[in-house]
Amino acid sequence: MSSNYRIEMKNIQKSFGEIKSLQGVDLKLKEGEVLGLVGDNGAGKSTLMKTLSGVVVPDAGEFLFEGKQVKIDSPKTAKELNIETVFQDLSLCDTLDVASNMFLGREPVKSMGMLIDKEKLHEKSREALNRLGINISSTKLNVQNMSGGQRQAVAIARAMLFNPKVLIMDEPTAALGVKEVNMVLELINTVKKQGVSVILITHRLQDLFEVCDRITVLYEGKCIDDRPIDEFTLETLIKSIMGVPEGVHAL
Amino acid sequence: MNLEQISQDRIVKESKLRAFIRQNMSTVSIFGILLAISIFFSIMTNSFLTVNNSLNIIVQVAPNIIVAVVMTFVITTGGIDLSVGSVLALASALTAVLLSNGFGSLATLIVVLIAGIAVGFINGFAIAQFKIPPLIVTLASMIYIRGLALLITGGYSIAILSEHSISQLGQGRVLGVPIAVVFAAIFVALGILLLRSTKYGNYVTGIGINEEAIRRTGVNTVKVKIMTYMLSGGAAALAGMIIATRLGSGSSNIGNMFELDIIAAVVLGGTALFGGAGTVVGSVIGVALIGVIKNGLTLMHVSPYIIQITEGLVLLIAVILNVRVFGKKK
Repeated sequence: MSSNYRIEMKNIQKSFGEIKSLQGVDLKLKEGEVLGLVGDNGAGKSTLMKTLSGVVVPDAGEFLFEGKQVKIDSPKTAKELNIETVFQDLSLCDTLDVASNMFLGREPVKSMGMLIDKEKLHEKSREALNRLGINISSTKLNVQNMSGGQRQAVAIARAMLFNPKVLIMDEPTAALGVKEVNMVLELINTVKKQGVSVILITHRLQDLFEVCDRITVLYEGKCIDDRPIDEFTLETLIKSIMGVPEGVHAL
Repeated sequence: MNLEQISQDRIVKESKLRAFIRQNMSTVSIFGILLAISIFFSIMTNSFLTVNNSLNIIVQVAPNIIVAVVMTFVITTGGIDLSVGSVLALASALTAVLLSNGFGSLATLIVVLIAGIAVGFINGFAIAQFKIPPLIVTLASMIYIRGLALLITGGYSIAILSEHSISQLGQGRVLGVPIAVVFAAIFVALGILLLRSTKYGNYVTGIGINEEAIRRTGVNTVKVKIMTYMLSGGAAALAGMIIATRLGSGSSNIGNMFELDIIAAVVLGGTALFGGAGTVVGSVIGVALIGVIKNGLTLMHVSPYIIQITEGLVLLIAVILNVRVFGKKK
């Protein structure tokens, strides 16, 4: 019955010491859907997404992936389900080059798996960057010398490398210039056309109206609103974020 | 979309040689210092630049190189291993005690290596699993491992007869080359390959600069770190056996300050003190530099106290260069 949901998260709970970050959150994501996840600072958006990407293990709750119950208890298990994440804090290693960053943890190997196949590594990175229209002069550059936009592009290209089914983007446009924001939004639409389900966390509410199909609002660790994008205006969305959703009774 | 074009245009093209020198500035500069000091000693003494003395230096530094190669990995992960000097002593003591209690050479070799690796495992487990700072963990093991070495020898030196085949480690030669030097060369070659061209090397560098990033890509960083400390323990044990068999005696008192010599050499060579960028070649140059300073000053009949003062000051200057002048970031 729930077969066209790619992801269902049920009653996810997580506490850090005294603070209940997530107090039983439900979240559903359809195939090829772009879901906007919003909420004020500390509402639990990033924590919720970290449970989905396996970085944080929830105290309680369950995950259904394409209708089947799954366990996500490490970044590895999330990746095995083709759930990829672009983290807010980028997660790039400054002293490694572009290609090494993109393939971190999944490097192509040769010589019976002993050595990294550097030729293939750089070739495949180049292909992936080209596919997304990202222009970086050399995949051998260390990322520490790059601009914010380039670094973000590398992080997104990395997430897109292995044909994700779910792409989580936590504030992908936070540190970017105007042009770079447009590039990222365009990238999201490209990805969506390929059937990828996207969860987008952002504080730039205007971006949501450009790419999202649906919006879920978190407030103090609870989901208080969840509607298709056309039922929202900027005003009603802001009210929801402030904790007083219009025409919706707290779930 | 050519949005990256703008920033791309700002990248200045430079020749490969210049790029290499810029990227490896601290290593290149320390090599320059090594050359300058070698020339200085060649002029100041008649005996420095001789085949015999050069061979002597190489044999002396071989065990240090073995440990320094692995210490490069430890420091590149953002860690430190203070226990290598004590493991050296434990290996030395254990080798002598095992041999004199009727163990064969091969059995001794295996047991001592396992002991070193086990110390590394305990270090790595405490550091990676319990997230205790490496400085504290390995300071503790530095103390208790030295104690263990003292306990099993009772504080005495124990002779290692050269009839045991394990003595070849410290005294043997293949095609005229001391076996210890062959081992050192193998460690250097493997170290370079491991750090530059393997997943493990990538993760070691990555952990030093952004451990969480590595963890989030699904890599078991705990395993990578434990492995690194195990290698360190194993390398120190091998170095301990080489020194003990070269001297023909096992002693729990060798290797005092050995860890500091090694750490100094690695940092001298250009490995970032707080991790994230390491160079095996640099570490070899660093070891050679310290070896040459000690040897040259000894040949000049300088007081050993002056040697120690010089060594410390050279390290201080090199670290200042490493951090300030060549702008090594964290």
